[in-house]
This record gives sequence, structure tokens and C-alpha cells, in this order.
Amino acid sequence: MRLPDSVTGSFLVVLGAAAAYGGWRLPPVPGQPVGPNVFPLVIGTGLALCGLAIVFGIGHSFEEEEELIPVEEGQARAEPPGRFYGLRALLPPALLLFYVIAADRLGFIITAALMVLATSTALGAKWKLALPLAALAPIGIHLIFAKLLRVPLPVGLLPMPW
Amino acid sequence: MLNTLIQALQLISTWEVVVAMLAASVYGLVIGSLPGLSATMATALLVPVTFYLSPIAAIATIVAASSMAIFSGDIPGALLRIPGTPASAAYADEAYAMTLKGEAELALGAGVWFSAVGGIAGVVSLMALAPPLAEIALSFSTFEYFWLALLGLMCATLVARSSPVKAIAGMFIGLLVSCIGIENPGGVPRFTFGLTDLLGGIEPIPALVGVFAVAQVMRAMLTPEPPPIPRRKFGSIMAGQWTLTKKYHWQMTRGNIIGIIIGVLPGAGADMAAWVSYAMSKRFSKEPEKFGTGHVEGLVEAGASNNASIASGWVPSLLFGIPGDTIAAIAIGVLYMKGLNPGPTLFTEKASSMYAIYLMFIIANILMIPLGIAMIRIAAYVLRAPRSTVMPVIMLCCAVGSFAIGNNMFGVVTVAAFGVIGYVMEANGYPVAAMVLGIVMGTMVEQAFVTSLIKSDGSILPFFERPVAAILAAMAIGALLWPVMVWIWRKVRPAQTASTATAR
Repeated sequence: MRLPDSVTGSFLVVLGAAAAYGGWRLPPVPGQPVGPNVFPLVIGTGLALCGLAIVFGIGHSFEEEEELIPVEEGQARAEPPGRFYGLRALLPPALLLFYVIAADRLGFIITAALMVLATSTALGAKWKLALPLAALAPIGIHLIFAKLLRVPLPVGLLPMPW
Repeated sequence: MLNTLIQALQLISTWEVVVAMLAASVYGLVIGSLPGLSATMATALLVPVTFYLSPIAAIATIVAASSMAIFSGDIPGALLRIPGTPASAAYADEAYAMTLKGEAELALGAGVWFSAVGGIAGVVSLMALAPPLAEIALSFSTFEYFWLALLGLMCATLVARSSPVKAIAGMFIGLLVSCIGIENPGGVPRFTFGLTDLLGGIEPIPALVGVFAVAQVMRAMLTPEPPPIPRRKFGSIMAGQWTLTKKYHWQMTRGNIIGIIIGVLPGAGADMAAWVSYAMSKRFSKEPEKFGTGHVEGLVEAGASNNASIASGWVPSLLFGIPGDTIAAIAIGVLYMKGLNPGPTLFTEKASSMYAIYLMFIIANILMIPLGIAMIRIAAYVLRAPRSTVMPVIMLCCAVGSFAIGNNMFGVVTVAAFGVIGYVMEANGYPVAAMVLGIVMGTMVEQAFVTSLIKSDGSILPFFERPVAAILAAMAIGALLWPVMVWIWRKVRPAQTASTATAR
């Protein structure tokens, strides 16, 4: 997801300006010249200035080309990325949010199994590998964290025998 | 002195510490050797586990895992030309060229041996530098702390190998994140948008896990799987290392010294040390034409350098609470949690704990030799583990670990959010390490800045009046202006060469 510098720079200008304005509106500490408002003001201004510099391409000459290992032509062409191919990157954070919502109701084991299944299938695992992994990995993690380290993981529908 | 040493030995010779250290070593070796899983990520995922350990055992796991992971990043670098950690990226090409020449044993052996030597040199520097610096640090006021923290942040942006403007922007984003919450000079809710969960601020550890682990899983979703490692038999790994040590002892020493200096600088860490040392080795070599064709000299110097920076990176962390690199940033979090608050008094009040840290570093680096050799021998099997089995487990660890930090689901949300932020930043050339240091140091920078401003009654002048403050200020401002000077130099130089050409 490579965006043009003008887009990211403009975003930083807006973010910086918003932070500076938000900081400026904070109530000062009575009787003191500086309070909680100074730091966001400085940071926000600095960020906005950086954003402006990025929009105008200052410092661009310092950027080094990505040092990726060149993929052979044939390999790169083999899989034409679909229109929504880039959205696959959003799967991990989406699964984490799913965990937040579902873990209390479904319990750790079931939620974790679904997460493992989704991640490994998305990375190209066959069912033969993904299913046993989804069954075993949550139990292993549960053993380490809930049993050994006593983290209160949600029990939900499928309590573990220990 | 002797008494403290004996106390320190007693502290580390418990079963808990021994087991924790061994387990963390194996864990660090495995994670470090898997391409894409960095040493920082290994350490960050370890933090939830350290909650449940005694202070010394907790630090033992961090020390062992980070040292091992920096070495074992060399393994896929040499065998696949894919660096396991960014710190190995500098010489992965060179090591791979050696493997192609049939010298994989020599390349990997040099990795183990000079990493261990470098690590021990780093510890010696930590032991030698920390106490006298602590004396000086005792007289520091908030002005000095402010400039020191700023210097650390500026170094982090300088070494980022990216556009310095983007690096500074990344640092500001991190500082902005640290503004969230009520922990500010006025004690008012700041940037919380009415959310109770944000009142406590953003914890650095979930943010780190998000930026380094979740973002990596996200990247894996879009990149092709690295090729499986060819199965091969290794000959003797340590053979010839002693000859190398004698032949390249000067390069090794130089690598150690550069690594120590870069480690001590707040903000710059192992990857920078490796890049600088490799470049330096090439520059001063008697046979620079051999570099890039599988020549061991650069490997010796850079390998000695990146591990030396790990231990010396603890110097600013222990003394000032200013991380030497991202791994030290995590270590600081653990130190605070365990009641070993960084500061100059740590060396007088908790001297035995300090000696225990030194001893653990030495033990970890000695352990690295046998464990490293074993790891190289089984690397072919470990590296065969497909990404589709490793990444799901990493995901689970992210979810459970971030929950465990506060027994709070908001930690998981933080991890997810910072995964996205880290992914987008990295994809657009904004270095995430600068942001991470901003988050970790934000509260400290603000406190030092605001307290100083209150003391000086809003005037800027006292920031430069004290001698040490003035020196630190000059360094920090120099670091800020450095990219500008490089830019001008680059502009002027072509013009100059052109004019001399016409003059002839």
C-alpha cells in the first residue's frame, strides 16, 4: 500500500494541526506559565512542518530503494493479484478485533482455533495442515498462558479440563 | 565489590534463572533464525511471560533472547540470502556468497564466534562505562535530561536509512501517541476523546508488539513465501575460527569498538552497528575488491559489531532510562515493572542486581557458542517450518500476550491498531523504530521539557547555560542539522568537480 508522498504528507499536516489545536485548547494549570498544553502544541507544529516538507519532496533524495530480493520474472507473474488482493493484509488486525468481540462469548479455545484456521489458510496452508494446527495451537498456548502463567483467559463454551 | 559479586552469583544461581535463561536462549535462536521475525519482535513477545518471573529471571530472559536472536539472524542470511533480523542485513549478501563458494561453515562459524566475542566486549564496556557515567549523571538536572532524550530521538532518526524528514515525522507521531492519557503536567485527560480506556494512555509494549509482530504478519499476507532451505551436511563449524581471529584481530577489535560506541549512543542499535562496521571494514581493507564475492573479513567486523552493541545499548537504558535501541526500550519497560527503575542510583542501591546483569550477559554469550552450533546444525529443519504454521501461532501470542499485560481487552485493540499503523508507515518509508522510541520516551521528554520551562520561567536561555547541557544541546542540534549539511554537500560537490574539470 504505497501512497504518494503528497497524500501521507498532507495527512500529517492535518494530524499535526489538529494536535496543536487540541493541545492549545487544553486548560492551563492555574498560576503556571506552562501546562499540559505546551507539549502537544510543539509536537503538533513540528509534525505539521514535517508533513509540509514531505509534500514538497524535501529529503526524498535520502530514501534508499527497497532492498527486496528480486523475484524471478516467472514467479512474479504466476499469481496475478486480484482487485482485493491488497485487502488480505487487513486480515490480522481484523482477526484481533474478532478476538476482542468474540472471546468472552465463545471462549478462548474456539476463538483462537478460528483465528489460526483463518490465518494459516490465508497463507496458503492445505486443510491437512491447517485443521490439526487449529486444534493443537490454541491448546498449547492455553497451557502456557492459562496454566503456567495464570492469565485469566475467557472460558466460554469449551472449558479446558485443567 | 567482592561481596556484591558473590551476592550477584547467588541471585543468578537459582533454578528459575537457569531454566528461564536456557528456554529464552532456544526461543531467541529459533525466532531470530526465522526470516521476518526480528530480534525486537522476539523480545516484545517475551514481555508478558516476564510478568510472572522474578526480576532477575525476567531480565535474564530478555538478555538471553536478544543476544541469541541477533546472532541467529545470520543463519538464514548465510543459507538463503534472507536476513533473519535487520541487524544481519548488512552482510547477508556476503555470507550467501561464501555459502555458494562452499564455505557455509566458515561464514556461520564466524557468525557464532565473533558474535560471542563481540557480546563479551560489549559487557566489558558496560561494566567499565556505567559506574563513571553514573557519577556524572547524578549531577544532571532536567535540562540535561531533556537534551539527552532529544539527542536519543535525533540519533534514532539519523540512523533510519530513510528520508530524515520522514524519520522525524515518525518520531513526532510517537511523541503524539505518548501525549494520550492523563499522565501529563496538568493531570487533565488529553486526546482521550471521552474514552475511559485511553485515560491511562497507550502502553508501549502492546504498541511495540503491534508494530513489530502484527505488521509483520500483515506483510506476510502479501509477500511470497521464502524458498525452503536446501538440506545439507555441515562440516566442523568452529574449525578455522582461531586462525581468523589471529588474522583479523584488528578488524575484530575495531568492530567491537564501533559496536560499543553505536550501542551507547541513545537511539542507535545493532542494525546500524552492522552497517557502519561492514562499510568501515570495506573502506579500510587491504583487499576491498574481494568484498561481495564471499570474503570473510567484513563478516568478522560486522558480526563482532552488532553483538557488541546489544550489551552497550544497556548503558543509556540503565543510567537514564533512555533506550539505546528498540530492544533496550522493551528492557526498560521490564526494568520499571520489576522495581529496578533506571537511574544513576541503580548502581549504588542495587549494585548486586547490576552485577547479576553483567554476569548474565557473559553467560549468555558463552552459551551462544554451543547452542549456536546446535542451532546451525538443525537450522535446515527449523527453517522448513512453513510460514502458514508460524504466523498463526505468532497471532495467538500477540492476542494473548497483549491481553495479559493489563488483563484488559483494550490491549488487544491497541495491538491491532498499531499493527495497521506500523504496516502503513513501513510501506510508505516512515521508519517505525523512530516512532517506537517516541512512544517510549515521550512522557520523559515532556516531563523534562515542561519542568525545565517552569524552572526557567518560560525562558529558553537556561537550557544552554549549564556546561553539560550546552554540550548535549550542541550535539542534538548538530544531529538535527546533519541531514541538511549532507544535502548541501551533495549539491555543492557535483558543481565543484564540474568546475575543476573545466579548469583543467
